[in-house]
This record gives sequence, structure tokens and C-alpha cells, in this order.
Amino acid sequence: MILKYIILFLLALTFANAEAYVSQDMINNVAKKYNKFAENRFINMEHKLEGLQDKTTIIKLNTVNTFFNQVNYKSDMENYNMADYWATPWEFLARDAGDCEDYVIAKYFALKYLGIDPKQMYFTYVKSTQFKEAHMVLTYFETPTSEPLVLDNNNRFVLPASKRVDLTPVYNFNGDVLSASAKKANQKTTQKWDDLILNIKKGKI
Amino acid sequence: MTLFKQLSILVTLLLLSIFATVLGVNFQNSAKSVQDQLYTDAKNTATSLSLSLASANGNISMISTMINANFDNGTYQSISLVDMNGQVLYERHSERKIADVPKWFVKYIPIKAPIAAANVSAGWNPIGLLNVQCDTATAYLHLYTILYSLTISFSVIFIISLILLYILLIMLLKPLKNIRLQAEAISNNKFIIQEKLPYTQDFKEVVQVMNIMVKKVEDIFNHANETLRHQSELLYKDEATGLYNKKYLLNKLPEYLKVDAQIPDGICMMIALSGGAEANQALGRELVDKLYVDITTMLRRQAKDFNNSLVVRMNGTEFFLLLPECSEENALSLANYMDHGSTILLSKDLDEKVTFLSFGVYKYHHTQSVKQVISASDYALAQAKLIPHKERVYLHKTVSNDEIMGKEEWRKLIKFALDHNTIHFDTYKVLNIKSGELVHNVLSIALLSESQKYSYGHFIAPAISLGLDIEIHKKAVEKLLKEPPFELKGTICSLRLSEHYLDNPATYNELKSLFEKYAKNLSFKLIIELPDIVLAKNSKQLQVFKELFENYNIQIGIFEFIGEPRDYNYLKELRPAYIKAEVNYFLSQTSENISSLQVAANSIGIDLIATSVMELEALGTLKARKINMIQGRATEMLG
Repeated sequence: MILKYIILFLLALTFANAEAYVSQDMINNVAKKYNKFAENRFINMEHKLEGLQDKTTIIKLNTVNTFFNQVNYKSDMENYNMADYWATPWEFLARDAGDCEDYVIAKYFALKYLGIDPKQMYFTYVKSTQFKEAHMVLTYFETPTSEPLVLDNNNRFVLPASKRVDLTPVYNFNGDVLSASAKKANQKTTQKWDDLILNIKKGKI
Repeated sequence: MTLFKQLSILVTLLLLSIFATVLGVNFQNSAKSVQDQLYTDAKNTATSLSLSLASANGNISMISTMINANFDNGTYQSISLVDMNGQVLYERHSERKIADVPKWFVKYIPIKAPIAAANVSAGWNPIGLLNVQCDTATAYLHLYTILYSLTISFSVIFIISLILLYILLIMLLKPLKNIRLQAEAISNNKFIIQEKLPYTQDFKEVVQVMNIMVKKVEDIFNHANETLRHQSELLYKDEATGLYNKKYLLNKLPEYLKVDAQIPDGICMMIALSGGAEANQALGRELVDKLYVDITTMLRRQAKDFNNSLVVRMNGTEFFLLLPECSEENALSLANYMDHGSTILLSKDLDEKVTFLSFGVYKYHHTQSVKQVISASDYALAQAKLIPHKERVYLHKTVSNDEIMGKEEWRKLIKFALDHNTIHFDTYKVLNIKSGELVHNVLSIALLSESQKYSYGHFIAPAISLGLDIEIHKKAVEKLLKEPPFELKGTICSLRLSEHYLDNPATYNELKSLFEKYAKNLSFKLIIELPDIVLAKNSKQLQVFKELFENYNIQIGIFEFIGEPRDYNYLKELRPAYIKAEVNYFLSQTSENISSLQVAANSIGIDLIATSVMELEALGTLKARKINMIQGRATEMLG
């Protein structure tokens, strides 16, 4: 227990000037609502992300992919008793469970926090030939025309799309890109994206 | 402005603002909803089209074909595809005109169709953004239809609500209307008691208070009425026989002796019992008193055959019979008949040389004064008493009162005035001697011949005998209403109408027609004066006239009031503006009598006016009796 407070204190001193990915209040709330393991996962994530601030993009992609791939897979029906639900990164990590969209969301926002341009990342709807089901992965584009890197919860490696013959791309989606256009019309981006952003702003855990 | 009008305006404005606001909010919501729908449609199209475009694998010609197919088969304002650098790869735009919607609607209701975007991919790579904007023409039409329907339905609801609220207001304010009517009645000195109390507590209390007030005033009037009746009886009646006394005769005679009396002459008969003291000694007081009652009964029986006849006990032993339209011959035979009858009344125990009845007969003419008639009657009786034998009946011949002008001359003169419309109005003042202010002008009809003016006193008697008085009154009223003298503008004027004129069957319709045409725009306030005897009858015919006068804001005034011992409730019902009585009446009454009359009159807002005030000396007594309004020659001396 004392060790935990020492680590937190050191972290606070180290990154006093940087804005934390998750606030101390949120960590406290997670501890209160879930358990100390959940709290530790959040502390661990904060520690891991802060350590990546100055790293290369590829390290960031790999580390984030590996970190969140440790979370257990669980369908929305089992997890939230809903057919399809886009969980906030905090819900995903606190419950230590989620489906493919939840992995993508958690990785997207973590990488965005780490300074990756959101326009370079897409929620890509793919067909998994291996599992023969609809699936979603996060794709990273160095340039708009370059071959994307695929961050998949079913694969611990971040691989170029050409290496992922088990996946057939169907549709790319980037809420941040679309919301810029939607804001002009004072309209919603999409129902799911807007709900997700709202929940993140509210700090839903 | 009445409370009902104020509330009606307020309710209308309130309803109008509520409905306008609700209409506005509804329309705004509809407009927002239409715009949202435009975006949703665009968004759905963008997403589904972008998914389709993914299959084109970045082939622009394929992509443009697919966009064309979508654009041409839908209602879009624009569809464009921009690459990742923001360069337009392909674009379709429509300049469709907005039809079926008024131009003002498009001008004042701006609808901007939102642009929805979706990512377009080719394989793994995003190739750009697809922007879709729906067409606003349909939205305008939809929105205009909504506005039209909303306006119609809100208008209908508004009108229905307004009607219902008005009905509610009428129901709620009905007691207030009754209160207003009661208040108006009070200000007009009318006694209206609201039997049905309003449901609303506030109104109920007001009505209760007003009812109490009205009841109090009515009680004051009733008490004064009763006192006045009682006092008049004491003043005017002989206790032993129940006959009127000399005071009454003196006040009553002017009614018979006036220039426009419908019955121009008649008989005055003075009857005296001589030897009353001897009879008292011989028979005793009780039997003599019975004798007087028997004489009274006899006189009454004889008088009843004559309209408007009068039997008066002048003093202990003298009686006075006034028999209108009775000839000298009839009077003599009647006197002789009564003389014979008296022998039965007078007991055999009485000496007929000492105790007897004498009959002085005198034919009066309406142009004579009261004094003349009484003196002549006294003289006739004195002469009758001197007759030394039975049948002590004396006829005092009337001095011939031939007119200077013959009947035909009068007819010509009156006809001339009627045909040439030379009716004129003399005006006399009624003054308030306390304040010196003019109360009203008395209008008196006069006729102008080619060379001379004839006042009412001059022409009315011959006019009555020629049967032209009604025509004169008719023309006079017509002239007064049609061509009112300019100097009367803004004043109050009274005009006397005779009973004979009102009795004429055509008069009502003639007056009604004249009032309908002219009375509403009359430049002065008119009061119609009627004799007290006519008002006291309070006949149905009078009620009809009163209603007609009231409709045109014309009041009634009373003249020839002598305070007959009667119920004065007719004053309460007819509400005359004033009561005019000869100055002698006010001077001859007891102060209690005058006081009762004043209380009764004041309680219902009636003024008392003394007429025929010739000398200024009378003013002091009148003032002392609180009679402050006068008419007569004295006003000229004051004026």
C-alpha cells in the first residue's frame, strides 16, 4: 500500500506539467466502483502511456496494441446485456473485458493521447476469414495512400495490411474526420460515435 | 369602458399571444425536425453510397457513375466526393426551383440543407469523403403544408376558445351586469332589489349591501309617503263628514279655472244651513251632527252625476258643490230638488223659519280667478239666505264674458298659424333662488299671425272649443323637434302636454315617429310636463308614454300638484324630474306636510318647484320651507 502511494507520488512529480490520460479522481472512482485490480490496471495504463510520450510511432502502436490486447474478450451481450455497445476506454479497462470495437476504441484514444494524428487512424470494418464473422480493427496510415498497419485484438503483432490475408476490408470510419463536417451542419456525426464521445466526456466507467 | 370589454380585450390578446407563441414554437420545432430529417436522409445516403463506392476500388469513372445513378434517382441538392487532400474528385449539383410554395415563405423561412459526410475507402485505404446534401424543395413544401395546417387548426381552436371564454366571461360577469343596472337604478333614484344573490362571494356582498341601501331609501320614501297622506288628510278633510275642506277647494279650484281647461264652465253652488245653534238646542249635538252627515250624503249623491264634481264643507254650516258642465237651469232644478229633500232631513221638531238650507248658485267660467268665483258664490248664497220663504235658491247671473274675437276669427287665425307653421315658443325661466342658477326653461306655445303674437292663454280656450288644440300640440311638438330654436341648445326645457292631447289615439304613434327621427339628436334636454291628476292615475296609457319618453331620454315633470290625500307610490314608479305646485300650495301647507313631501321627493331625486310666484315677498317663506326653485313673474325681477 505504501509502495503504491510512493509510485503515485513519483509519477505525479515526474509528470507534474503533463496532462494525465486519466485523472486521480477517475482512478479513485474506479477503485470504489470495481476493485483494487481495476485500479491497478488504470495506474499501470497511466504509467505505460506516460512512458511512451517520447517514443516513436511504431513503439507507441506496438505498446498500446499489446497493452490493450491483454484485456479479455467478452461479447456486448455478456458484458452489457446489449447487442452492440461502444464502451469507453475506461469501462473497457475497468471491466477488463470487451469486444473488438472496444479494443479499437481504447487503442484509438490512447494513441490520440500519445500524439498520433487522428486522421491517420481508422476504425476499419473487416471480414475475418478465419473466424468467418464481422470484425473491427484499428488501422494506421503513415500517409493517406500508404499501406496501413493493422492493430487487431486477435493478433498480438502490429502487421501491414498485406500480411493480414485473413482480413477483408469493408469500410473505414473516422469519427473525428466526420464530426468536423457534421459540426458545420450542427448535426450529429453518427449515433454510436456521438454517444461514445459523450460518455468519454462524462468519464463513464 | 366596461369591465366586460376590458376583460374581453385582455382575454383576446392573451389567447392571441398564447396561440401565436404555441404556433411559433410548433412551427420552429417542425422546421428543426424537417432540417434534422434532411440531415438524416443525407447521412443515410452518404453512408450507404460510400459503402457502395468502396466496391469501385478507387476507379473514378465507376465512382462517378454510381454517384450519378444515386443523384438522378433521388432528390439531392448536391453530392460530391473529395479526396484526402480536400480536392474535389467528382461533384453533382442541382439548381431545382422551389415550386408550390409562396415566394414570401421561401424568403422569410430560410432552410439550409445540412451536408452529411461519410468516409469512402478503396480496399484498406480511405480515398476521401463523400458529402451529400438533400434538396430543400420538398422540405419547403412539407414545411409550408405544416404551417398551413397549423394555422388553420390553431385558428379554429382560437375561435372556439374565444367563444367559450366569452360565454364563460358573460356567465361570470352576469352578476356584475345586474350590479351595474342596480347602481344605475340607484343613481336614477329607482328601487331595484336583486332577489337572486350572485354565487361569487365578492359580488354577493356588494349586492347585499346595495339591497340594504335600496331598502333603506325605499323605507324612507314609504314612511314619508304615509306621513304625507296622513297629513294631507288632516289638512284637507273635514273629520265629521269626510268631505274636503275650504283649503282643499282653494288649492283645487285652479285646476278648473285654467286657460286650457277642457270643461270651460260649470256651476258653483254654496249651500248653508241656517239656525244651526237653534237646532243644537232643540235636537242635541249628536243629532245635528247626523244631520250634517245626511246633508253630505245628499250632496254627494247629487254630485256624482257630474264628472270631476267636487263636494266641499267650507265651514261648520256651509257646503260647496262644484259641478262642471252643469247648466244654470239644471243647477236650479237640482237646488230646488235638494231644497225639497231637505225638508225630510230637517226634523219636524225644528222651526223651518229658523232652521233651513239656502242655495246660492253661480255659473263659473274657466277664465275667472279663484277669488272671483268664491266671491260670486258667496254673494249668491248671501242673496239666497235673504229669501224669506221656502225654496231659498238664488242664481247669481254671470256677467257676460264675450270674447273680443268671434269663433270664426279664431279658427282663421289658428288655421293660418298651422298652415304657415308660425308656431312659436315663449320661454319662461325656472330659477334656483338659492344659487341664482337657471334650472330649466319652460316652453309655452304661442301662435303668430301676420301682425300679432297670441300667447297660450289667449288662443287655447278658443282652440279647445274649436277642436283644434290637439292639432296645435301636434304641430308644436313637431316643430320643437324638427326645428328647435337655436337659443335652446345645451339647455333643459319643459313643455306641457295636455291630457286631451295624450288621450288622442293617434298621439302615441305620431310622437313615436317624431322621436325616432329627431329625439336622438336633440340639442337640448326635454322634459314633458303632465298634470298631477294624470300621473296619479298611473294608467296603462301613461306607462306606455313613459316608456316611450324614457327610450329617448325624455323625462316627465308634474304640474298642478296640490298634495291630494292619496298614496304617492306613483311618484316612485314614474320618477318625474320635478313636482310643480302653485306657490299658494307651499304657503298654505303645514311645515310637517311640506317636510314629508320633501323627504319623499328627495329620497327619489325629485325637485320641488313653486309656480305662479308673482311677488318677491313670497321668496322668504319659500326659502324657509326649503323650496328653492321658483317659476313665475318673480323670476323676471330676480333675473
